[in-house]
Amino acid sequence: MIEARSITKFFSVVNEKGLAEGLTAVLNVSLTIPDGKIVTLLGPSGCGKSTFLEILAGLQAPTDGEIRIDGRRVLEPLPSTRKETEAYKRRYRFISPLANGVFRDHPKHDIAMIFQDYAVFPWMTAIQNVNFALKLRNAGRRGLSRAERNERARFCLAQVGLGEVENKYPSQLSGGMRQRLALARALSVEPRIILMDEPFAAVDALTREKLQDDLLKIWAEKQQEAVPLIIVMVTHDVAEAVYLSDEVVVFSPGPGSIRNRIPVPLKRPRPRTDPALMEIQDRIFSLFQYDLNQESEYSI
Amino acid sequence: MAETYETRGIRRVFLELGGFFKNSLGNFFSLEFLTLFVPLMLLWEFLPRWGILPKSLIPSLSTVAAKFWDMLLHRRLIFHIAYSMGRFFAAFGIAVALAVPIGLFMGWNLKIRAYLLPLWQLLSPIPPPAWVPMTIIFFGIGSKMHIFLMFIGIFYPVLFNTYQGIKDTDPRYLASARVFGASEFTLLRKVYFWHAFGSIIMSLKTGVAMGLVMLLIGESYGGRMGIGYLLGQAKDYFVIPEMMVCMAILGLIGWFLIEILKYVEIKLAVWKVGR
Repeated sequence: MIEARSITKFFSVVNEKGLAEGLTAVLNVSLTIPDGKIVTLLGPSGCGKSTFLEILAGLQAPTDGEIRIDGRRVLEPLPSTRKETEAYKRRYRFISPLANGVFRDHPKHDIAMIFQDYAVFPWMTAIQNVNFALKLRNAGRRGLSRAERNERARFCLAQVGLGEVENKYPSQLSGGMRQRLALARALSVEPRIILMDEPFAAVDALTREKLQDDLLKIWAEKQQEAVPLIIVMVTHDVAEAVYLSDEVVVFSPGPGSIRNRIPVPLKRPRPRTDPALMEIQDRIFSLFQYDLNQESEYSI
Repeated sequence: MAETYETRGIRRVFLELGGFFKNSLGNFFSLEFLTLFVPLMLLWEFLPRWGILPKSLIPSLSTVAAKFWDMLLHRRLIFHIAYSMGRFFAAFGIAVALAVPIGLFMGWNLKIRAYLLPLWQLLSPIPPPAWVPMTIIFFGIGSKMHIFLMFIGIFYPVLFNTYQGIKDTDPRYLASARVFGASEFTLLRKVYFWHAFGSIIMSLKTGVAMGLVMLLIGESYGGRMGIGYLLGQAKDYFVIPEMMVCMAILGLIGWFLIEILKYVEIKLAVWKVGR
């Protein structure tokens, strides 16, 4: 279970006059995601949903509030008083608060993350990319031997249809294949939670549908396990959000906060042209439409 | 392409050597280059010979070649080259062994950067030849002085390029490795280093060039051996062919070292070749 309690993220940015300016990216977002659910964060660009996801992953510290995954806190919040700031700075003098450790490979939480631009390492072949993740994740716990790792990496690549190209570098793969490689890398470590930041934004429509179905298939396979897989996905594609998720969390910009939470109580597999699905889509579209109209009236 | 070599042992060595010479000498034996190069060499040979250029100031190609042979036989040219190169590699090794790790750590950690960077920023603008007088006082004239001067020339370009490459590492790669649980040391070894690999090789190429400059400067200030010494002697006795031989040798050495670095880059950064 992921619990986010009143997450606020504040940045100082430099405006066009060269002055420092406050920017509230996320304001007071609370969200609980139960085990085994697919939740999408939907909203226009710049509404703080990606920032929220990065806070979930522990890649940014929230200004206020805290994230707990199965009851364990992800990152301590940033200091607010001067005294706290000094202590914080002293504690993280030599090593960033995000770091896992200096020499010991050890993930803080059982999370895998997929980025919009894939973030597969261009200097490793497909199989090396998967092996890298496997080696890191298994460093402390049950140590897989090199042969076992290779076997598991091959299996994961074959699972997403990359068995033929395991020795190619990402630069030699197409966009869709790179995305599938990122997916294979994330799945190989058998995480509790997969966080995805607009994972299918950069692939063509046909590949996207295929990848969505692959994802659902893999998710369904993991539902029988003791701790079912959670998927949290950021997207701005309404159809994708409704098709995939159990709950759509609609964000609104300036400052980023939750506007609506729309449950999608439909059985899987869902046909893409299901009227019930279309109805929920229309509802979300009309929400956005309403916001746009309100805004234009206001500005006139 | 991900190449998998089946060959091992001595055959592998020949294969790699063949690849190296194909890569390095290949440029010279292209039709385009030869159409430029052969006429240039002919002009060099025949303009002085026909008296269009003064023979005493610009000796023809054959004179220089004969001089090269003469120096090889009677002036122990090989010995001088070996001596210079020995010191060059000592300096290069020390400089790279220090500059690359320091650059890595400075790019990786803000605190280390805050401690060290201003120091290099103050020291590096001092032109390397300005170190000569101090160096002579501290080390005397000899190998130590030459090695130190070359070290000064190589250290800063390598340090700054490495640092810049590490600092520019894409935070996305770091984030994705961190989520999988990479420790900082693993990040340095597996992410930062390879991301900066291109700029590290680039820095080594600059280092070779600067090192050769400092080799000449160092050896022209004293010592009894090395190419710089030969060049200085040629200057003192006004033997123009000898000067040209020394220049050609320096050019060849620089070219050869840079070709080696290029080949290392091709071999290690295979992922860039396929692009």
